[in-house]
Amino acid sequence: MGAKDKVWEVFRQEAEGDPMIHGGSVRAPDEELATHYAREFYGRRQESERLWIVPRDTIIELDDPDLLKPPFDRSFKRPGGFLIKHKLEAARIRAGATGAEPIEELGE
Amino acid sequence: MRYPVAVNETERAEAFYAHVAGGGKVEPDDWMPDDYRAAVLKFVEMHANSELMGVLPEREWILRAPTLRRKLALTSKVQDEVGHAQLLYRVAEDLGKSREQMLTDLLAGKTKFHNVFHYPTRSWADVGIIAWLVDAAAIVSQQALRDSSYAPYARTMKKICWEESVHIMHGRDVVLTMMNGTDAQRALVQDALDRWWGPLMQMHGPPTKPETDRDLIWKIKAKGNEQLRQEFLSIYVPRIRELGLVIPDPALAYDEAAGRWSYIEPDWDELRSVVTGHGPMSQERLEFRRTHRAQTQWVRDAIIGPVGAAA
Amino acid sequence: MTVQDAASQAALAELLLAMADDEFVLGFWDSEWTGIAPILEEDVAMSSVSQDEIGHAKALYELLASLSGEDADEIAFGRAPGAYRHAALMNHPRTDWAFSIARRYLYETADAVRLESLAGSSYQPLAQLVTKMRREETYHLLHFDLWLRRLTEGGPESRDRLIGALRDLWTDAQAVFAPLDGEEALVAGGIMPDRLETLRKRWLDRVVPRFAELGLPPMPAAPAPAPDGRRLHGIDFAWLHGEFTMVAASEAGASW
Repeated sequence: MGAKDKVWEVFRQEAEGDPMIHGGSVRAPDEELATHYAREFYGRRQESERLWIVPRDTIIELDDPDLLKPPFDRSFKRPGGFLIKHKLEAARIRAGATGAEPIEELGE
Repeated sequence: MRYPVAVNETERAEAFYAHVAGGGKVEPDDWMPDDYRAAVLKFVEMHANSELMGVLPEREWILRAPTLRRKLALTSKVQDEVGHAQLLYRVAEDLGKSREQMLTDLLAGKTKFHNVFHYPTRSWADVGIIAWLVDAAAIVSQQALRDSSYAPYARTMKKICWEESVHIMHGRDVVLTMMNGTDAQRALVQDALDRWWGPLMQMHGPPTKPETDRDLIWKIKAKGNEQLRQEFLSIYVPRIRELGLVIPDPALAYDEAAGRWSYIEPDWDELRSVVTGHGPMSQERLEFRRTHRAQTQWVRDAIIGPVGAAA
Repeated sequence: MTVQDAASQAALAELLLAMADDEFVLGFWDSEWTGIAPILEEDVAMSSVSQDEIGHAKALYELLASLSGEDADEIAFGRAPGAYRHAALMNHPRTDWAFSIARRYLYETADAVRLESLAGSSYQPLAQLVTKMRREETYHLLHFDLWLRRLTEGGPESRDRLIGALRDLWTDAQAVFAPLDGEEALVAGGIMPDRLETLRKRWLDRVVPRFAELGLPPMPAAPAPAPDGRRLHGIDFAWLHGEFTMVAASEAGASW
């Protein structure tokens, strides 16, 4: 790579309101050219609403499974982590609720 | 992918190969055995080289495109090929070999590019046939690469496949327009097909044994060469024949019993000779690139600074 | 406002042809960089710019075709070399990267002045088309000003090549504002809000200070362009014409 050349990651937004998604990378010596080239590779077909151009060396990557996928059950932290269908059914039967409307619950 | 702390290299490699054989993915910063890294690099580098060299047969016709619409479509197509070269060189570079070194090796004849780009283009009909059928054969390969174990390559292939779909339509439109035109135009198309059919049949390469094809075992690629060729024939033979074109292989026929196309065996000697730089246009095109690269070195030096390795 | 009289109609056709031919010929020369530009990323950028020019030429030829009853491709591909009306600036081949950048810089800045003025044209179809074109030209101006700066600051070799190219092209660049037959009628009718000579001075007022700002040596004096600035084309254009008409002319009346 040339003395001044750097790698820039390009993130793009497909449609208004969408999240920024990684597209790929370009090589350029500075922000200005990196921006022009990002436009060419990820925008010349009018396919993007927005681009983020980021020097690769400023990106911090985390991929340690000890931090991201540790072994103990963490289902209580996620939607669907509580199973209440059967408990709800039991409670209704005990309360003698006949003709009661089913209630929409999050999770199961 | 991560490994338990106290594990030796052999176990680490075995775990890695089990991971990829089972459909697992690999990212650039992951640990990988040297063999795997070298195999992916070689595969991607040849692909990148092919996109770059593939520009040359078509670029001559950019100036000669006969209508405003064709001029725009062809320039855009060739531009996309340059773009694909960039995408693929970036993937390869992140595996540890610089773009400059890859270009140097290509131009010195040390690395290869696909056979089809070693042949001349003789008429506007060639432009249509290349954009339609050569691109089609390439897409059959490229679609199968969208699930490569090497994730950056897989992601790049998805982008490339999306972009290539336009090119095939352009190529087919060029061919169709000529086939619906004058006798002279139809003759040009038939002549182009007669010359390109051989290279097209060789393009996916000779059949390989699945048990020894490492690119297949490590899921760098998903399908073997023969499977790709058969897919290409199944889709495109009917489409070529329905235009009234004659495919220059009298033995080409679908064998219902065997469930595959039979054909005259492609000339594998020709393929070997061509990809090692003995094709009709191999040396001329490499020389063309060397000349232009030398002529523009001052620009790179001014803009991105001099590189350690010689240009 | 529609174009009522024959004199204005003929003059408007000359104007549209001049603008279309400028974009068409320049788009062709620069499309030659596709695949061989100095940097892969820049190859794609330069190709986009060339495609934009061909797209603008197409729109201008189509506007002209709507007035004359011909077909845009016939106008683009069907004339003898002497009937093209591009400025002398476009007679040169792409030569080297510095030459192409210099020409691009000179043309884009001149075209920007022309388009700014024509955005106020009394002829609505042209005013609307020009307004659309100016939006695309934003990128062109940014990109070539960037390259002018980079080559100036990129060391002695790039600077010398750039200065040499600007000097070689300076006189021919004035021809973007070469006299047009029927200019008086266009100005009188408001189809051209400004005379060409006014536009040329406005352009010089922008580029001359920009060169000074970048520390480039001053250009020679810039005399008014010769009357044949859009009529004499030379051997390089004759070659290009041969290339771009080769297939189109090979089968009379065929569709491609």
